[in-house]
Amino acid sequence: MIRAVLGLVIVIVLALAHTADAYPQFQPSRDITCTGCHIAPDGGGILNENGIAVAEQIAWKPGDGNFMYGMGKPSWLSLGGDLRSAGGFIEADKAGAALYPMQAEVAANATTHGFTLHAVGGLRRPDDGGSAIHVLWSREHYLMWQQNPEGGQGLYVRVGRLMPTFGLRLAEHIAYTQRYGGRPLYAEAYAASVSYVAIAAEAHVTVFRHDSLGSAVEHGDGGAIYLEGRITGHLQFGAEAKYSSSDELHRTFIGVTGKYFLEDHDVQVLGEAQLIRDRITEGSGDRATRLAAYVLASKPLSKGLMLDAGVGHYTQDTRVKGLTRDCLDVNLHWFQTSHIEWLFTGRVELLDVGRGNNGGYALAQLHYRL
Amino acid sequence: MKYGFAALAIVLGLAGCGTTPDERPVTFEVVTLSVLAPSCGQVQCHSTSTHVTGYGFDTLAASRDALKSTGDRKRIWDQIERGQMPPDAPLADEDKALIKAWLDAGAPGL
Repeated sequence: MIRAVLGLVIVIVLALAHTADAYPQFQPSRDITCTGCHIAPDGGGILNENGIAVAEQIAWKPGDGNFMYGMGKPSWLSLGGDLRSAGGFIEADKAGAALYPMQAEVAANATTHGFTLHAVGGLRRPDDGGSAIHVLWSREHYLMWQQNPEGGQGLYVRVGRLMPTFGLRLAEHIAYTQRYGGRPLYAEAYAASVSYVAIAAEAHVTVFRHDSLGSAVEHGDGGAIYLEGRITGHLQFGAEAKYSSSDELHRTFIGVTGKYFLEDHDVQVLGEAQLIRDRITEGSGDRATRLAAYVLASKPLSKGLMLDAGVGHYTQDTRVKGLTRDCLDVNLHWFQTSHIEWLFTGRVELLDVGRGNNGGYALAQLHYRL
Repeated sequence: MKYGFAALAIVLGLAGCGTTPDERPVTFEVVTLSVLAPSCGQVQCHSTSTHVTGYGFDTLAASRDALKSTGDRKRIWDQIERGQMPPDAPLADEDKALIKAWLDAGAPGL
């Protein structure tokens, strides 16, 4: 079933072959690392000069891609920010409309002599039982040392509140490997991280402690490692492991990733599979094994448009027949300008290969990058 | 690369071959950490970060708070049974049966 769906997805994407446009997701096609476009060694967040150029290159009507369209600022300061909102229809057993804010954050990097002070601040959904001040928070704040400040390769050391580097790090947190795997939304923790980034390979090692004072999704303490090797310019493999231990749960994640660029069709395929072992330590305890996998194929269409098609699989507990879910995702990105992205996304989700309850959604997301 | 995808498909195919009937322990810890936490306790929903409608299910302590009263347990079960929750990713019948068995046993472990 999975093989058939995967094949269908790739056929659909290949059938829409058209022009080639640059996009950061197309890493193997460019022989670049995440640091080719981002300041952080594991990607995400503020774009560097090349990242802004890429945002302008892929957009339908680019405009000035710099922060606030080129607002004056000192050269040691980098600024960024994101606003996101989404609305549409969600269907579990009952269909319903939904409209909700997703993200409102600003980010700043102050850099001198290879040291960078990085902070992200913004709004989050407030705690229903908390005070109004809980709407404000800082998801990330850390000090980074970079061996080669002029380039994207070399050694990086970070200390502070950050996301342990793990997995494919897709933008959409609903991918099964993120939602159910080792990198859920807002799983930042207080951490020390060492990364080495080169053209041929990269390695990221993080030790972390959960945030016991603020908002925490990661409730355990532990470590994560992610290794990625570029076999050829178009083929990459990664290996990953993460361990997290709290008073009530010990959790181990082991996984692999792969990235392949089909040059003739201008299609990027990303894949990840994780084996997750849970050990409940409170009460009478229990042990369970879970599996999460996700494969995403992406293809630029005409200028400003990109199509993704993804399939996911999740086995909630390998002991129990029927506790599986599979999904088919289709995303259409429209990069209207270098600051504005529309994302039209749909998911069909099947429980127990269609024999159980099914769900899905169709949403439009607006992303404005400051 | 095609061999990699084939291997992945085989692994995932085998992953669906669990045993039946459900042999999971019917305990508060399993109901919370295996079912409610991944399905209902996502950060933007019923978590210790946001407590939507006052409930959190991502830790045992928060879940114990959410489920300690009979009225809350009934309200929550009604939402699950009718398929209104979770809104985006419905619970499997096996998970509903596990929760029901735990409730029918008097919700031990709270």
